[in-house]
Amino acid sequence: MKKGNSGKAQKAPVGARAKRWLVDFRNQMPLQMMVLPGVAFMIVFNYIPIYGLKIAFQNYTVVDTLDTARWVGMENFRIILTDKYFWDSVYNTLGISLLKLLVGFVAPILLAVMIYELKDGIFKRVVQTISYMPHFLSWIVLGGMLISWLSTNGMFNSVLKSAGLITEGKNILLDADKYWWIAVLSDVWKSAGWGTILYLASMAGIDPTYYEAARIDGAGRIRQIWSITLPLIKTIIGLNFILTVSGLLGSNLDQTLVLMNTQNQPRAEVINSYVYRMGISQGDFSYATAAGLGVSIVSVVLLVIANKLTSRMNERSVL
Amino acid sequence: MKREARHYLTIGMAAATAAGVLLTGCGGSGSGGSKTGKLPELSEDRYVLDASKPAWQLDKKSETTELTWYVNADWWNTDWGTDTVTRQVKKDLNIDITFITGDDTKLNTFFAGGDKPDIITIFDANSSVAQSAANWAWSLNELADAYDPYFYEVASKDTMNWFSLEDDKTYGYPDYSNGQEVYDSNLLKATTAFAVRKDVYAAIGEPEMGTPDQFLDALRKIKEQFPDLIPFGSNSMTDSTGSLGADLQNFLGVPIENEDGTWYDRNMDEDYLTWIRTLNAAYKEGLISDDNFSDDGTAHEDKVKTGKYACLFIGGTPQRSGPLQVWRSSNPEAEYIAIDGPQSTVGHGPTLSQAGLSGWMINYISKDCKDPIKAIEIFTYLISDYGGLICKYGVEGETYTINGDGKYELLPEVKEMQQNDNEQFKKVYRLSEFIVFGHDKYDSYGADVSESIVQMQKWGEGKLKTQFIIENINPDQGTAEARSKSAIDTNWNTTLTSLIRCGSDAEFDQLLADHVSFREQNNWDSIVASYNEKMERNRQKLEQ
Repeated sequence: MKKGNSGKAQKAPVGARAKRWLVDFRNQMPLQMMVLPGVAFMIVFNYIPIYGLKIAFQNYTVVDTLDTARWVGMENFRIILTDKYFWDSVYNTLGISLLKLLVGFVAPILLAVMIYELKDGIFKRVVQTISYMPHFLSWIVLGGMLISWLSTNGMFNSVLKSAGLITEGKNILLDADKYWWIAVLSDVWKSAGWGTILYLASMAGIDPTYYEAARIDGAGRIRQIWSITLPLIKTIIGLNFILTVSGLLGSNLDQTLVLMNTQNQPRAEVINSYVYRMGISQGDFSYATAAGLGVSIVSVVLLVIANKLTSRMNERSVL
Repeated sequence: MKREARHYLTIGMAAATAAGVLLTGCGGSGSGGSKTGKLPELSEDRYVLDASKPAWQLDKKSETTELTWYVNADWWNTDWGTDTVTRQVKKDLNIDITFITGDDTKLNTFFAGGDKPDIITIFDANSSVAQSAANWAWSLNELADAYDPYFYEVASKDTMNWFSLEDDKTYGYPDYSNGQEVYDSNLLKATTAFAVRKDVYAAIGEPEMGTPDQFLDALRKIKEQFPDLIPFGSNSMTDSTGSLGADLQNFLGVPIENEDGTWYDRNMDEDYLTWIRTLNAAYKEGLISDDNFSDDGTAHEDKVKTGKYACLFIGGTPQRSGPLQVWRSSNPEAEYIAIDGPQSTVGHGPTLSQAGLSGWMINYISKDCKDPIKAIEIFTYLISDYGGLICKYGVEGETYTINGDGKYELLPEVKEMQQNDNEQFKKVYRLSEFIVFGHDKYDSYGADVSESIVQMQKWGEGKLKTQFIIENINPDQGTAEARSKSAIDTNWNTTLTSLIRCGSDAEFDQLLADHVSFREQNNWDSIVASYNEKMERNRQKLEQ
């Protein structure tokens, strides 16, 4: 952003700047008009509701309006910060999200590269279709399948038993210590295939002559991937990274609600499910909004950090 | 570059505000509900008051009254006039209802926006909506006095009294509200049962299972003779105590109040904990499967459908009648039957619980109502046996006939559709589904209950006991106590499962002690104080 031409404009006197802006605006009139509905939509649905955040500082009930609700200052935040279950959920969210970032961010890139390297044909198409498939099943369905697969006599235990690794089946979902991995791996399984689309699309745009030149120079497959494919999709990787990081704290609500039980709850409860339980199912709007606001602030901080990281990696910023 | 930058910045901002947007909805400004309007005069042209007849029979208003009716649940069927039940209601009352459904957020927009639907149905008598009804709803007493005195003939006095607010007026009227007279009349059926598979029970010699030792012995025999079955199971308990909380306590007859009338700590009752220890012993011997604690409702029902459980402690038999029926129809010799099962170790008898005075859905007539006269007529109509039976059984000749025993029997094609194409059944007939004023008493008119639970209901006869005194005693929504209570409940759910799964008696005691100290750290004293205060309020209402 700093390297843009905005620096020049700032030095000009105010009057000249305003005039230039007006001239620019008139010249771009058709474009501006096209943008207008989007901007209006944004203002109505994304900016005006920000005003509603004030209920985080109120004791807001269903029968209140924003003006009649009682002010309680920072009370909601104070209660949240002293709630053991909130901190548990923050800890779990960070843990699960970081694991998802480590595994779930890399997996689609690897998969995309592997699919890209396959020869076009039936096998490639079958692999792609199969890898997309779980994306289209809801967590309710996948969760039900996982509950049964991970149960005492479920698929996983049967496989382990017949491989002679264990003698007696254990319910894996009740083991709180394994929950993070269950959440992460099942999420990767569900979304990795779908995540390849963006990468495959940008790989399709790579000029094949690069590869021909590399082959003539004697580069092997791995060398080509490392020196041509990956560098050329770097921007897309960076963009995806920023989007993923800003969504880190929004861990999957559906997944948690389906897979959570009383035994794995200490490791399974994430901020979203906590806010859902407190806010929606118990009508505690203020409390849930306060928690949501806190999460948003942390998300913005994460977003800025991620942008700094990628700008260092790409030598220019995506934002 | 710059445009790109703005674009992503806006995306970021949008993400940051998403939570706020989600929870606040459109925060319009409005009058906030409280209106000091007066009820419209009843003109003589319309009808002359007559306390001996319901006003809907007197009303001469010729044009159709159009009303909006908000139900605070997404699943509510919003059709009107296209099925047998609502077509008949529409014909009798000359009304057109537009249903609106939603959740608390949507309800809030009505209150914040100031223009409320004519009739509002909510689900929680403890909620701020119900508590502040005097500000936004007409009192039923005033409406009945002014337009429809016959309302008092059909409304239950106990229920009216129970729902009165501090000004002694009643604003909301619930469905499925069972007062003392309903309990006394034996019209209510028990919904809790300790069920065993008939064939399994016979094979192990139909032993008593009343004491912990007998219980464990029986389960051991089952495991020996039927290694493929799960010896003991209970309701799904992934986010609650399933049937092993209050249901089991009622089954064992754990008291609901101390002798001095103060709140009794049922979870810490020795008798109850003895049985939890017994379940722990059973778990340690492999008589209870770990899957019992990870199965969700669907997985649990699948096991019922396939008869996987040898013994099953059921909370809510009607809700499980479907899966039980599936199992029974393919294996009639192995159906689940209720037996006495575990019994109190200190000599209490079972005190099974059913819906009490608080009922379920609560209906209000808002002060914005376009025609409060018509609205109270609707209430009177639906609360009366005449309207109640239409909602439950439909129209004679069209959906049911009265058989030789004087019982209401659904016509064969209606019954057939109910069993085989329930979706279509709901569309065409909508029997037992328009339940905003439903009541269990109409069940006794009918000839058929799901056969799978008839024996269980019979077993429960005479074992029901009211729990009015501890109804609605949870701390008010949005208070510090309510939040603490929620944390304590979550902790108890985890603790109870851990108690059953733990490895030693020392661990059991430690888990229990941990839960007690968790309670102490979370406002426990003021929660109990709030319980006692609300029990006192209940007592006063019950004595009136």
